Amino acid sequence: MSHRLTLILVGTAVLAAGGAVFVLLRQPDRADPVAVGLPFDPDIDVDDDNSAENEPPPAFVPHAASFLTRYCIECHAGERPKGGLALDYSDETAATADRLAWGKVSEAVRSGRMPPPGRPQPEPAESEAFLAWVDRNAVGPQNPGRVTLRRLNRSEYNNTIRDLVGVTLMPADDFPADDTGDGFDTNANVLSVSPILIEKYLTAAEAVVDAAVKDSALWQRLISTPAEDFVPFVLRGSPPLRADAVKGQRFEQADAAGLARAALIDRAYYAIQAFADRAFRRPVTHVEIGRLMRFVEATLANGDGVDAGIKLALTAVLVSPHFLFRVELDTPPGSDIEHRLNDYELATRLSYFLWSSMPDEELFRLAASGKLNDTRTLVGQVRRMLRDPKSRALAENFAGQWLQTRALAEATRDPFRFPPFDDDLRRAMGQETELFFDHVVREDRSVLDLLTGEYTFVNDRLARHYGIHGVEGGHFRRVSLSGTGRAGILTHASVLTVTSGPTRTSPVRRGKWVLENILGIPSSPPPSGVDGLKDDGTGKATTLREQLNRHRSQAECASCHTRMDPIGFGLENFDAVGAWRDRDGDVVDASGTLPSGRAFRGPKELLAILVERPTDFVRCLTQKLLTYALGRSLVAADRSTVERITRHAAHNDYKFSSLVIALVRSDPFQKRRIAVAGSSP
Amino acid sequence: MISSSLTRRAVLRGVGVSVALPLLESFGPAQAKSETATPPLRLAFVYAPNGKHMADWSPTTEGIKFDLSPTLRPLEKVRESITVLSGLCLRNATAGSDGPGDHARAMATFLTGVRPKKTSGADIRNGVSIDQVIAATIGRTTRLPSLEVGCEGGKLAGTCDNGYSCAYQTNLSWWAESTPMPKEVDPRLVFERLFGDRVRGNSDSANTKRDRDRRSILDFVAEDAQDLSGKLGKADQRKLDEYLTGVREIERRIQQAQPTVAVGKENLVRPTGVPENYQDHARLLADLVALAFQADLTRVATFVLGNDGSNRSYREVGVSEGHHDVSHHAGDSAKHDKLRAINQFHVAQFAHLVERLKSIPESDGTLLDHCLIVYGSGIRDGDRHDHDDLPILLAGGGNGTVKSGRHLRHPAGTPLCNLYLSLLGRVGIRADRFGDSTGRLAGLDG
Repeated sequence: MSHRLTLILVGTAVLAAGGAVFVLLRQPDRADPVAVGLPFDPDIDVDDDNSAENEPPPAFVPHAASFLTRYCIECHAGERPKGGLALDYSDETAATADRLAWGKVSEAVRSGRMPPPGRPQPEPAESEAFLAWVDRNAVGPQNPGRVTLRRLNRSEYNNTIRDLVGVTLMPADDFPADDTGDGFDTNANVLSVSPILIEKYLTAAEAVVDAAVKDSALWQRLISTPAEDFVPFVLRGSPPLRADAVKGQRFEQADAAGLARAALIDRAYYAIQAFADRAFRRPVTHVEIGRLMRFVEATLANGDGVDAGIKLALTAVLVSPHFLFRVELDTPPGSDIEHRLNDYELATRLSYFLWSSMPDEELFRLAASGKLNDTRTLVGQVRRMLRDPKSRALAENFAGQWLQTRALAEATRDPFRFPPFDDDLRRAMGQETELFFDHVVREDRSVLDLLTGEYTFVNDRLARHYGIHGVEGGHFRRVSLSGTGRAGILTHASVLTVTSGPTRTSPVRRGKWVLENILGIPSSPPPSGVDGLKDDGTGKATTLREQLNRHRSQAECASCHTRMDPIGFGLENFDAVGAWRDRDGDVVDASGTLPSGRAFRGPKELLAILVERPTDFVRCLTQKLLTYALGRSLVAADRSTVERITRHAAHNDYKFSSLVIALVRSDPFQKRRIAVAGSSP
Repeated sequence: MISSSLTRRAVLRGVGVSVALPLLESFGPAQAKSETATPPLRLAFVYAPNGKHMADWSPTTEGIKFDLSPTLRPLEKVRESITVLSGLCLRNATAGSDGPGDHARAMATFLTGVRPKKTSGADIRNGVSIDQVIAATIGRTTRLPSLEVGCEGGKLAGTCDNGYSCAYQTNLSWWAESTPMPKEVDPRLVFERLFGDRVRGNSDSANTKRDRDRRSILDFVAEDAQDLSGKLGKADQRKLDEYLTGVREIERRIQQAQPTVAVGKENLVRPTGVPENYQDHARLLADLVALAFQADLTRVATFVLGNDGSNRSYREVGVSEGHHDVSHHAGDSAKHDKLRAINQFHVAQFAHLVERLKSIPESDGTLLDHCLIVYGSGIRDGDRHDHDDLPILLAGGGNGTVKSGRHLRHPAGTPLCNLYLSLLGRVGIRADRFGDSTGRLAGLDG
């Protein structure tokens, strides 16, 4: 209670008796324990199976050494090792030290690209033991990484304004487009702040506050004192030594007018504090409130009144770096090289990951009471957040970029060749993929549904495009795909369109897309001076196939194109806007043979082969999700995290929530490396 | 001169857009200064993607009697104001040890001359671009230090050129080595940046009050940022520095006395958005650049006709295939025809800007006399991805420092940055080097 009194004196230096009464009516600082989501079954939700970590690490000899000898060093050794990669290490120390190599080796072996076809192939158990050694010993020291100070991107800004202020403006639509790094606009390093953005932030803040003022119900809510302040006093930093906020209004004016005025100031103080708490996603400090109260002081002095001051303070909050950036601070010097995020920072990471927006009151309360980092609480919150409508942001922002369907907006098609491709169809395509992904999230389906689910969501326009009968009206509904030759995102018109050109399909682009976004196999860039497909833009599929066969007969092209092209050809039954076709001039030949020697005819058989090894897909999805969630490029040290998440998902039927929960519980998500002077981020 | 032009109103027309321009001269610098003073030099850089089909681009003859090649034909009307520059190269756009990624490098290097760091996300790094070097000096006197516009914005999804972050492929202008200047695509937003205050029709006292409020807000956030500074790591600090520099720039803009102009609201009609038709879009942006120069709201601009590697199709000129797809012509003459059509189309948009500048009287000549507009691509041949003998044009008289109407062929291997070094001298910036320059470009002044 004495704390509270101090606070009031600091805040307004007013109040006298009337103020004290007012204060006493307020709730004490302690937060109520909050009911957290629904009950959950820890056996399912929390993977406490650390058996892999508790086992002794696999030894170099025999696991890794014999694998290298048997399958690798025939080519990767000596003066001129293949691919410039020498793996004939003298001992474990030399092997472990060569970290750069292991990233490549792990990816190549895991994907089955190495050893190449025609060479002796390891048994699955052999590969597993080898990869276990790689993951445990050769990835370098564990390191949660460090995310650069990251500003809100456009969708995050719009959503945050919506949740913070309650206006429906989308001011960020007028901001310049955000750049992307590693495929996502959450990458802190490429989210730069140019002067034009500051200009836009200022204009946007003014527009947002103006709009709030115009909505009188909303404005009343914003400027009135919140029912309670659940932030523990100590979290607001040390109070300034003297009353810094509004001076000279003290006890001498204890008449009715003075009290009324004091109450006004008091109201402003708590309104601004509550707003800034939420805007900064942490308790605002006494010093900061003092600074914000200067706006009120100024407008009181010049006769504009209290509300004008609140208006300015709120505008200033929306331009403050604490609002525009997601600030995570290092702990004081001398502490460990890495540290766990505080609960507010964790809440913020969670909400921007799952909602592309700020934390809600429940998360703030848990953070205030220091409970969010409790595993059960955290897991409960993740489930609650996934069920919340705001998790639609994952479909819009994560899936839209992972699957590249955001690019639909800029896709162009030759209207003579593809007359159906108009804006209605374009929108419907985007909707389908978004609804489908959102369904997997919301219903907590296996993520394998994304590849093989024989159902989708269509309206009449898209149903006609797919040749599905009996769908009337513009609203989307779930339909079965059995018997249509379609299943999962690879057969979505959206994906098939963004991987095609304006006049024709591109089997290479589709194949590359599948390798990079479904199987997690980065394709090496084409040799210098070669860029993309040199084919005839008007070519028929057979011509294209002949041209691509030429590609594959050249050694420098073959290593990649034998992997990309067959996958692309397997999807040739879908034209450049994703409509089914049996003929493209001649009869479509959708057959192919993968490097593994597996032959297939048509998309169905191709899909069946692709999901034979579900972990390839789940690992790839995990990498994308982790990149998106962290806002930084993944590095070698993240590999064990990716493996752990993938393993956890496998134990939980690949349910979407199991990926998210394992990810949220991982060190890179919960911890942060301290900046070391002179080192890069 | 001034009094007669006060009655003149220019009207921009596009499909669905009509911008009635204000009484422009009253914005201009001429009023404040003596009429005999030379108007300030304005510079713009116009970028066209994916190289050119050079057989149709290069004039076959040099000097003053050069022939207008097929691609350059849209410049017929302003031929005397154009200088064709052959033989210039961008050494740092070549593969070197960085491997593929010529589209990203071409665009990133075009105005910086610096080899961009190959990275898909972490730690992007490029040089400061020539327009920003110039803006840092001569931009301090105008409302906007520089203006960045373009027909294509950032990439909406996916990864970019062979391991390069999309930032390299969507930004032409770089304000600091890790901070690009994003471009404005929507003509409405460009218009509002240029004329926003006037269009809103606020009274002067309302504007004064708003400026006072803004100053107090910026003071507050600067203090906030100062508090934060020092608690951050190096990379974080860089972001915060970007933020603070932006804040100071806006503060400068508020403090600077704005020319007060009696412009009736009816004289300013803002564009309604992005025109669907490419040509309308490009011309509207060009008109706004010309307008900004005319009103002396800025003296430096960049204008991107398309991001490098762009696969937009140009059905307006009968090409339904993507530009990038077609640019890999592999010697096919049908594709050459299509490329010529696209190349010509881009040059026509440039010609529109030049003609527009030439139509605006200023001092004792035209606005174009006081401009230098560079046009070009960071790739020579889109099929070969080479970066020597680039297609480069210069328009304008540069306040009498450039003798235009000529085709100048420079020795092979002459850096494009030599041209930029020459530009720096013309705006009074003393520099011995820019990017990979080896000296000033010879022969511009005749």
